Amino acid sequence: MIHQPDPALLTLVFLTIMTAQNTTTPPKKIPTQRILLWVGVALMLLFCLAPVLWQILTSFKTNPAISAIPTVYIPNGDQLTIAHYFSLGNEFLRYILNSFLVSLVSTVVCLAVGAPAAYALARLKIPGEQIVLAIVLVVSLFPYVLLFLGLLEIVKAAGLGNNYLALIVPYTAINLPLTILVLRSFFQQLPKDLEDSAKIDGYQTVPMLLQIVLPMTIPALVTTGILTFIFAWNEFIFALTFITRSELQTIPIAVAKLGGASVFEIPYGPIAAATVLGTIPLVLLVLFFQRRIVQGITAGAVKG
Amino acid sequence: MPMTPDTRRQRESRTGWILMTPALMILALVFAYPILRAFWLSTFTQNLGTQLNAEFSGLTNYARLIGDSRFWQSLWNTSLFTAFSISLELLIGLVFALILNQTFRGRGLVRTVALIPWALPTAVMGLAWAWIFNDQFGVVNDLLIRLGFIQERITWLGEPTRAMLALICADVWKTTPFIAILLLAGLQSIPGDLYEAHAIDGASPWQSFRHITLPLIAPQILIALLFRFAQSFGIFDLVQVMTGGGPAGATETVSIYIYATVRRYLDFGYGAALVVVTFLILIVAVLLTAGLLSKTRVNLTGD
Amino acid sequence: MRIVPFKQSPWLRFIILMGAVILALQVFILPVFSQQPVTVRVMMQALEAQQWQPLKANFEAQNPDIKLDIVAGPNDTNLVEDLYTSAFLLGDSPYDLIYLDIAWVPKFAAAQWLAPLEQYVSAAQLDDFLAGDVAGGRYDGQLYRMPFRSDAGMLYYRTDLLAAAGYDPPATFDQLLDISQALQESGAVQWGYVWQGKQYEGIAAMFVEVLAGHGAFWIDPDSLEVGLDAPEAIAALEFLRATIQNDISPPGVTTYAEEETRRLFQSGDVAFLRNWPYVFALAADSDLAGQFAIKPMVHAPGEKSGACQGGWGFGISATSRHPEATWRVIEYLSSTEAQRDYILETGYVPSRIELFNDPEIVAKYSHYPDLLAVVQNSTLRPPIAQYAQASDILQRFLSTALTDQLTPTAALEAAAQETRALLGRAG
Repeated sequence: MIHQPDPALLTLVFLTIMTAQNTTTPPKKIPTQRILLWVGVALMLLFCLAPVLWQILTSFKTNPAISAIPTVYIPNGDQLTIAHYFSLGNEFLRYILNSFLVSLVSTVVCLAVGAPAAYALARLKIPGEQIVLAIVLVVSLFPYVLLFLGLLEIVKAAGLGNNYLALIVPYTAINLPLTILVLRSFFQQLPKDLEDSAKIDGYQTVPMLLQIVLPMTIPALVTTGILTFIFAWNEFIFALTFITRSELQTIPIAVAKLGGASVFEIPYGPIAAATVLGTIPLVLLVLFFQRRIVQGITAGAVKG
Repeated sequence: MPMTPDTRRQRESRTGWILMTPALMILALVFAYPILRAFWLSTFTQNLGTQLNAEFSGLTNYARLIGDSRFWQSLWNTSLFTAFSISLELLIGLVFALILNQTFRGRGLVRTVALIPWALPTAVMGLAWAWIFNDQFGVVNDLLIRLGFIQERITWLGEPTRAMLALICADVWKTTPFIAILLLAGLQSIPGDLYEAHAIDGASPWQSFRHITLPLIAPQILIALLFRFAQSFGIFDLVQVMTGGGPAGATETVSIYIYATVRRYLDFGYGAALVVVTFLILIVAVLLTAGLLSKTRVNLTGD
Repeated sequence: MRIVPFKQSPWLRFIILMGAVILALQVFILPVFSQQPVTVRVMMQALEAQQWQPLKANFEAQNPDIKLDIVAGPNDTNLVEDLYTSAFLLGDSPYDLIYLDIAWVPKFAAAQWLAPLEQYVSAAQLDDFLAGDVAGGRYDGQLYRMPFRSDAGMLYYRTDLLAAAGYDPPATFDQLLDISQALQESGAVQWGYVWQGKQYEGIAAMFVEVLAGHGAFWIDPDSLEVGLDAPEAIAALEFLRATIQNDISPPGVTTYAEEETRRLFQSGDVAFLRNWPYVFALAADSDLAGQFAIKPMVHAPGEKSGACQGGWGFGISATSRHPEATWRVIEYLSSTEAQRDYILETGYVPSRIELFNDPEIVAKYSHYPDLLAVVQNSTLRPPIAQYAQASDILQRFLSTALTDQLTPTAALEAAAQETRALLGRAG
């Protein structure tokens, strides 16, 4: 489905929004701008949700309804089923927990390790800084799927098969360049006088970082954290190869193991159901954390 | 105790290295061996012809690569895919970020919804997209017919250009949120009073956008572009599931070709050479872009 | 040596008896009880892992000293192959029993990942299995795979429509085209013939049959001669393209794999279908029940029809620590009884010839005797180590011709050239 809205309309929405931004216009003018903003929001929701809605509808349709001609949009009583959800079984909860564990740990490690490095690269004068930056950049260009064969040998040599470390460490490393570069750009935008005055107030480097600088970078931390978490949640190739014990596997692998009535059949219904169930935790998580992104506004107010 | 500038610089440098070491260690642990191994192995022949033993063969693999039309085609396919998908994503992602940066009721929910495409597993959505673009059962054809745009069902994935179009469409849908959220974080750090001061000076919204918003989120735009460039060039699972590289090899990307060479053909030496060349091409592309960008900046300031 | 009579001392007799009993316990009986059962591990598609459970229970009941551990893999067989490959690449495969597709045999054997099986099984025993299925298990003259469930491509046709229009089932490619067009013109069906035309392994399997039907070949495994640019091979591709150009096949066939074609056939809008045996049970369970039949693939006049040999069988990992125990698992699974149970349970195609006419099986699947005729005509995909690569070349150029990027002649000449370059490099 092509949901790219009309470019002319886009420009219009775009300009209106820019006008609406941070203005103190009197209330009378607001309706037209607001209407255009809402049109923009509606188009955006349509773009993001239409394929997802299709997945949700599919997950509730019976198999004949899924492949019916003409296409069934809203299933009627006979075409409605929740059997696809039941077909996933109780183990699915375990896969969700596994995914959660792996994603959480790799996200936390990634931020804990990436933030100090980003700060050092942004603020401290270090000989060799350019080289480190170059390494981070170059490494981010290596297509991650192609790491696979080399990593396989490392995992084997370290005896890490069926051990979550074999997933957590690569996921962390793959997301580190993004984390470091994003956080670095934020540290660079923070006013330097803040740290200077903190130092004058007698703060040591580490407490100053934790108590003053860190709270101001929460939007960036949440942003990269969410991106890292989602990457780990959905990664397939490593999870497939390094973890073979069924009770340790993550959601994408569980989905890949869903089968249909024959070996050739792609079970669209159960897959859609698994996608919906497997994404709900992510949605809740983002819903909970997204308000942290806004905190940047208040933090930004300190700048002056 | 007074510190000389020298000792302060030393201390700063030491602190810096201490802060960076854990990150560098993890990067080294994961990236160093596979990358160095690829360079090393690319000078060997290791395949079924050598009973999977590595035999030194110098630059043979590279010579073979020059004449490998399949590699160059896949490189061209990938470049095409990357160019179109990341420019569309940047455009739409920027609009999304600007919308999400506004205050309106239900913004939290809308922000969450805007991230959903990125949150869905690619491999699974690839299947869903293939089904959506199916010529007989797909909802795209059904909608287009109902709306009267087409009379005959279109075989989206059965014709090279259209298959590429369908792939780009699926990828833009999937990764626009990635750019949007990165840019949103950048927008959030722009202090509002900057706009007010600018508006008092009589600047139009478009001027504010050009002179305040764009320059201030430029770092985020560059980062988003860099990572999308890398991700898009390495695209694998979406294509694997949606088209498998077909039809006529028109959607085969470099990663798919290399994955097949290594994992299915067991041609490790040649696969390593392909990895090395792709990797170097990417680095050169980024260096060239960076060079061009810095020149542009000089021009802009020179204005 | 003089034997001391036991009666000399009751005590001595008692002690000797006790000693003998203890010795016997230690040497012969106790080990059986105290020994840990050997674990034989195998991986397969999750769906089939489910279907194996009764076999596993039976086997373990009969062989308490062996535990069969079935690891459920992803449902995409390509991913199963990838997983086996990475396990082997690490040198020490965690799998003892390898459940493998016939198309993997040459590569796995050439990589020396499989143990030869000749020492376990006699030629006479192999005669009980389908010849094509056994041949597909050989590489370089050695046997590496025992057949289990067989598979072969065939033609499905609508008996009701053909009878109503007064046609016999087609025997040649031209008849297939003619009947299709007639049925389409009469409005009986929208499409004449559907087949797998997506760029993937299925198109190669399908093309092997069209090649054989035209008397052409792909690669000769012994001489490594490539036959793709022969006039017969070009005629084979011309036939496929004609089906699209004459609107006998929907333009979408260039994106279809097995399932898409089955769904279309089952929707009732198609007269002929090329597919594997699995379709039969599903179609018999749909509105089409009783209105279709199967026959070997059509062929050119004077040529024989071909059926691409597929199927799954067993190998033993070259690094398995328990090859003997693994062979006992294979022996059990290859037995007539186990195979009959499995076929009755699942509806797959047996590899033991006698089972096609087995009363119990025929009672449940009345078309199996017909199936035997199809499967016995099977054609192998070229059993060369670089098969995966050769297949990718063919797939790409077939797709190129079918989507009108190149003419059939140009496409097959390019495919032949690339294949020769590949084989030359390997040689």
